[in-house]
Amino acid sequence: MSDDTSLKVQAWLDGELVPSEAAALGRVVAGDPQAQALAAELRRTKSALAVGELPRVLPESREFYWSRIERAMRETESRPEAAPESSRVASLFRWFAPAALAAGLAALVALPLLQKRGGGGWGNGAEIESPLEDISSFTFRSEADRMTVVWINAR
Amino acid sequence: MSVSIDHSSAPDEVLVRAAQRGDMRAFEELVARHRDKLYARAFSMVRNEDEAIDLSQEAWVKGWQRLKQFQGESSFVTWMTRIVINLCLDRLRKQKRSHAESIEQLDEEVGGVERQMPVVTIDPTEGLTREEQRQRIDQAMNQLSYAHRTVLILHEFEGLEYKEIAQRMGCSIGTIMSRLFYARRRLAVLLADLRESRTP
Repeated sequence: MSDDTSLKVQAWLDGELVPSEAAALGRVVAGDPQAQALAAELRRTKSALAVGELPRVLPESREFYWSRIERAMRETESRPEAAPESSRVASLFRWFAPAALAAGLAALVALPLLQKRGGGGWGNGAEIESPLEDISSFTFRSEADRMTVVWINAR
Repeated sequence: MSVSIDHSSAPDEVLVRAAQRGDMRAFEELVARHRDKLYARAFSMVRNEDEAIDLSQEAWVKGWQRLKQFQGESSFVTWMTRIVINLCLDRLRKQKRSHAESIEQLDEEVGGVERQMPVVTIDPTEGLTREEQRQRIDQAMNQLSYAHRTVLILHEFEGLEYKEIAQRMGCSIGTIMSRLFYARRRLAVLLADLRESRTP
């Protein structure tokens, strides 16, 4: 008897086969003494288990057992739910985005003025990166094109 | 308007509805009624008294948190039993990951050992009282690995189908069939051994 047939005999006894498969397997078992012996053993084990499990009683008093559950229930109810990471980032973005935008615009206006006063300032194609952790801005100034570009990114 | 109920005599359904409205006293009554059953299921799976108490208590807390999701498709105690089973499976999975599997266990996993076992032809529980049968089954179950014991419990005592067991245990139906086959065959041998060792 193949391994596959052995498992099918079990599935047959457990009612896990579709009717056509069950009928075919029934014919196999009828003609194979080995399969019949295996089916008989599996049936005996199944019916032995049908008597059920040994009853077990919780070895703690009702009050003591409940007191721990009740404490844990109250703790979980009073604990505020932790905000997910994405919502924290979104909240930071709400606060910092306008500030970063304002800083970027200020830089846009101030840089040509500073350039005029200081003479030197940035060279052609100079870049400045923002050190902010969650919001980053990136400024690019091109003297040749007389243009300053500010990118604002929320990470 | 709040409805006053006699907690000790109210049926489970009434207590569940009251608990869903936040009545902790109703939930306490449900715990008192079904705590032995939940503890027994946890114990049968983890085979450790302290762990079984912890897991059953954790299940009650989870049950309280999710109580609003309970729609009454099954009985309350069946719903709670599923929660404790899932917690036991999680615990056993973590333990399994932290322990190196023995060669014998690995062989059992792939289903190699049971092919060599001769068929047991005697009825190992014949002539025993119900209580004696349960004692022997418990002793034999204790000698099975957690994977085989669990699959037997879920199939024979919880009445789950192969597909449901596979989903809960996170493995294929083929693995469940193989484990169940091994567990039954091994149990037949263990019960026969127990019978021989007790027969004068």
